Amino acid sequence: MGRLGVTIVGIVAAVGLSALVFIGINKLFDLTEKWYAVFTTVVGALLAAGVFGVLWGNRMIVTPVAVTLIAAVLGGAIGFGMGVMARPMLRLAVGIGGGAALGVLLGVMARSSTWPSIDPVAAVVGLVIGAGVGALVWFLARIGGRRAPVAPKLLSGAAVGWLFGAWLAAGSGGTQAETVIVSVVLGGLIGASIGVRPVSTTLTRAQTASGSRKYIFIGPALLFVVATLVIPLVRTIWLGFQTGAPRELRWTGLTNYSDIFTDPTIIDTSNWTAIFGSRLTWIAAVLILIGLGIGLWLGRSGGTGLGTGFATSAGTLTLLAGGVMLLGFSVFVSIRGTIANNLWWIWAVIIFSVALGLAVAVLADRSRGENIAKAMIFLPMAISFVGASIIWRLMYVARPPRNPQTGVFNAIWVQIGVLSNSDTASVLLSMMFFLAILALLYLAWRAWNAGTYSIVAGSLALMVPFIWLIYRFLGPGLGGFTTSAAGDVVADPVLFIQEAPWNNFWMMVVLIWIQTGFAMVIFSAAIKAVPEELIEAARIDGATESQAFWRVTIPQILPTIGVVVTTLIVTVLKVFDIPKVMTNGNFDTQVLANEMWERAFTQLNFGLGSAVAVVLFVAVLPVMYINIRRMQRERLG
Amino acid sequence: MTATADRISSTGRRPLGNRIYKFLRSIPTWALWFIVILWTIPTFSLFVNSLRTRDAQRNSGFWSAFADNANGYHFPTLDNYREVLFPDTGAGLWNALLNSASIAIVATIIPIAIAAFAAYAFAWIDFRGREWLFIGTVALLAVPTQVSLIPLLSAYTNGVAWTLPIVHRTITIFPDLNLSGSIPAVWLTHTGFALPFAIFLLHNYIASLPKDLFESAAIDGANHFTVFWRLVLPLSVPVLAAFAIFQFLWTWNDYLIALTMIGGNRGALPATIVVASIAGEFGAREHLLTAGAFVITVVPLIVFFALQRFFVTGITAGSVKG
Repeated sequence: MGRLGVTIVGIVAAVGLSALVFIGINKLFDLTEKWYAVFTTVVGALLAAGVFGVLWGNRMIVTPVAVTLIAAVLGGAIGFGMGVMARPMLRLAVGIGGGAALGVLLGVMARSSTWPSIDPVAAVVGLVIGAGVGALVWFLARIGGRRAPVAPKLLSGAAVGWLFGAWLAAGSGGTQAETVIVSVVLGGLIGASIGVRPVSTTLTRAQTASGSRKYIFIGPALLFVVATLVIPLVRTIWLGFQTGAPRELRWTGLTNYSDIFTDPTIIDTSNWTAIFGSRLTWIAAVLILIGLGIGLWLGRSGGTGLGTGFATSAGTLTLLAGGVMLLGFSVFVSIRGTIANNLWWIWAVIIFSVALGLAVAVLADRSRGENIAKAMIFLPMAISFVGASIIWRLMYVARPPRNPQTGVFNAIWVQIGVLSNSDTASVLLSMMFFLAILALLYLAWRAWNAGTYSIVAGSLALMVPFIWLIYRFLGPGLGGFTTSAAGDVVADPVLFIQEAPWNNFWMMVVLIWIQTGFAMVIFSAAIKAVPEELIEAARIDGATESQAFWRVTIPQILPTIGVVVTTLIVTVLKVFDIPKVMTNGNFDTQVLANEMWERAFTQLNFGLGSAVAVVLFVAVLPVMYINIRRMQRERLG
Repeated sequence: MTATADRISSTGRRPLGNRIYKFLRSIPTWALWFIVILWTIPTFSLFVNSLRTRDAQRNSGFWSAFADNANGYHFPTLDNYREVLFPDTGAGLWNALLNSASIAIVATIIPIAIAAFAAYAFAWIDFRGREWLFIGTVALLAVPTQVSLIPLLSAYTNGVAWTLPIVHRTITIFPDLNLSGSIPAVWLTHTGFALPFAIFLLHNYIASLPKDLFESAAIDGANHFTVFWRLVLPLSVPVLAAFAIFQFLWTWNDYLIALTMIGGNRGALPATIVVASIAGEFGAREHLLTAGAFVITVVPLIVFFALQRFFVTGITAGSVKG
């Protein structure tokens, strides 16, 4: 239970501390109206402590804790003076005096390694240039219409100039006296620039309070976004041009990128001619031709035309989508490599998730048990990729041929093999399939008479796999078996995870399983958001159910399909956990995200890893562009 | 739609042909439930197998679980859970679950707070460049995590130093706190990565609150902090809950960030990594994989079933306008 306690304390501390800082800063600025002196005191103390804290972090002062505390007290004193004093000379005196005191503290406590050897010329030149820049800023602000006294800008400019000229630009190895001079002048200048400001009025206090909120509210978010996303992104791009061990990087230009795109494990097009010899291509071509043919014919015959002589319906679209999908598959099993794998992932996951998600959303819409059905399909969204990978590894597991199969897929596959080797079973099954074909024929005939051509197309298309099943069962057989030399029939399970290139697809199934729920939820919401009157109007005009769907609902949810596709592209591009857990990139299943991780953190080749990350980043740029455009439209409209 | 079929069936005569036709036309509905069952089997089989002994898992599929007792195996048994959570030797999954909870809870609450403030400012505080800052922040939604990993890890390990040009002095921007291998490194990383989506989601909701609300509050002399604290936060509970669930699941289920930032520090690893490492062994502990995977899955499932409504709101609000 000790561990539990430590965990709880850690959680409470982290959350409490963040809340304290956040609410504290807001409460601090609430003080400006009634307790102005308290406000200035706290701000002074925090600023001084902050500066010394940064110096501490840079290991520039000795005995940091005590020095920082003293600095906080001095800063608080200056702040208190600014809060209560009204006479200009007194304010200036407190500012300069307090600043100089802080300067002395810094000068005395600075580590000897930071002592500068002053170059008087550089120091004075810096001072003058800084003051000039300050005056210029003031002048520009004045042109811009902001009225403010010139002295504060002039003095703070001079302070920055002095800092550069007398300390940063100076050589090291000076004396402590020089250090004290530099820091006292610096502190005095900063103090003067604060002290020279006039005492604040009720109006300026209110402006401070309200003007500060935007920084307080947005500041933390911007800090985190810049620190964890923007700067690392820039640095990764820069690292992509470097090579060598992490601590001795050197510039190599585009070598990393040329290495990536010439590496046959990353992209290998040598086998591209196989695309045309592949059975997949031919099946795809036939499907597309039939789909186009039916669509054109239906459109011509005035069934459900879109006005272009082409009719979209469930049947034609299934055929076309199936054909296009298979065409993609035939490309990706021939062109291999990490990048091809990633493209294949995108292709398969998007087509299946969108199609299945849309189908489920439509089928479940207003049907009985809609909520249960949707919840069960959505459930995998909550499961981690690691958990899902393990779940599916068990589904895919292949036991030795002599043992019983414990994975669902291989158990079914081997069982089919057993059935197709039994004459009775295969004849019985073939008869069942034949009955199914007859039923489908009957359905097609009835639908033909009723004029719902999409069902005709759908049932005709469904007949093809049944015909193929009959051929396999009566002919060469089907399922997981081989015939040994002795003539025995032996179980032959599929090594789903090891056999390239299709193991890639079996891993994509995991993500499809997860993302279908996501697509379904969004499509379901979009379908329910289609105004009922639109569909009603279409029905009154004599549209059938499927016409209303294809010509009213689908155009209405088209933008949503775009959103789902772009979201999925980003998700799929980043896929890492599934290949990592299932194969760790072995057996030809490497993807970019895992490749990046391997190069960067296993081989410690930060340059190449960064270059792979940049390739990923470039791949999402179009999606980013689309998102930005969409947001602009939504903010304007 | 099916005028003929309906007319005939409404007369009460149900010839065989019509019944077949009706049945075939209902195939889509059957297809829905077929898909539902298909989608449920994997999780269900994991659960069933996690209650079976090692030998039972190796020798038969989950469907024969009820024959286990007849075959000499004990079913159901919680031994796998006991063994994986509290093993006799070494640290078990229990410690890793505590780490997961620590990561997920903090990395959920802090981004919500930061993002709610920012979303309020983007929606209701007027300042120059607000639109572009907002679009710029939210556009980072699509940036792959991988792009940030290397620089962030080296920042956590070595700190960040910047050598000024011209004057050649090195300034430490982020001190070397030796954060890598620790849970705070994961908190910081998750917080940063969560913000674009969080701001986007919360902003959409907060910006749609009625304008009168803010005007009357301003007339009453309430400042932005008061308005935020007293009005916006209570009104935004649904969207805050939606994001909280989303972020909790995301951080609880995360593998990549924890693996990168914690790496070799075994004591701080979250449950996903510990379970994945059992999967990587391919060996003696394979039967524990089912129980381990179910343990890391059960927390999201509880969250999911208890708060499904908010979860769905969160996902759709991020994607569908209106």
